[in-house]
Amino acid sequence: MKRIKILLITAAAIFVLSLAFCFWIIRPAQTNTVEIVQDGTTLYRFDLNNTENQQIEISYNGKVNTVLIENGKICITNADCPDNTCVHMGWLTAEGLPIVCLPNRLVIQYIQSGEADAAG
Amino acid sequence: MKAKKITELALLSTIALTIFIVELRIPNPIPIPGVKLGLANIITVYAVYRYSPKETFLIILTRILLGAFFSGNAMSLLYSIVGGLFCFAGMLVLHRLLPQKWIWLCSVFGAIFHNIGQIIVAVIIAGFGMLSFLPFLLFSGCLAGAFTGGCTQLILNRNFLRKVEG
Repeated sequence: MKRIKILLITAAAIFVLSLAFCFWIIRPAQTNTVEIVQDGTTLYRFDLNNTENQQIEISYNGKVNTVLIENGKICITNADCPDNTCVHMGWLTAEGLPIVCLPNRLVIQYIQSGEADAAG
Repeated sequence: MKAKKITELALLSTIALTIFIVELRIPNPIPIPGVKLGLANIITVYAVYRYSPKETFLIILTRILLGAFFSGNAMSLLYSIVGGLFCFAGMLVLHRLLPQKWIWLCSVFGAIFHNIGQIIVAVIIAGFGMLSFLPFLLFSGCLAGAFTGGCTQLILNRNFLRKVEG
């Protein structure tokens, strides 16, 4: 019975902690600089405040993701993958939560504030 | 392995696979990669409690391989396999400590192990940024795990599969 209690408390702790971390991660972004990373290499860097509206096509092994930048916001509008999760994620808003297309190894994220300063 | 055993395992794999395919058809309201209900795990948890580790392993492997094959999502295969094996290993240890009344808790831990396995693969493939998905996976995983575990508990209490087998 004691073991069960310990397991129960562990599960409850993981549950509550993960919820707390969720709220911390979806805090609004402090920076406007985003980067588009594919397979570990940074392809683009944008300051969203000073970027014209545009559409970028990024291909990976023949699969294409279409990235849209509009009015200082960025999202993926089209993806050649079975689940389209990245399209459903919508605009990039949260500092800690990147838009990810796992099949095409594409990540769109805000640059962490420390790094952005270094990049000038 | 006796023919009857093989038939039982095949039946369970088929049920798991069917649930898996049906679940793919349900639109996912939460747009975070990896977040899903995982209804097929009802069968996994059931097998952990009713069959030997070897037999459970066969059911899980069959479901994951054929599931990736039928859904046409080869990329998700790696996540499913590593996640599935983590989940299996974790539940194998825990089901000895947790009696039948606590299956839902065992399933919660299965989900937690599954999520940790998935995130490890994601970090290897796409870098440490993926770690920010872990809290979302764990939170939804706890809920989904409790739900699927609860379903397994209902099935085991009703015992209807044993009647079918008899």
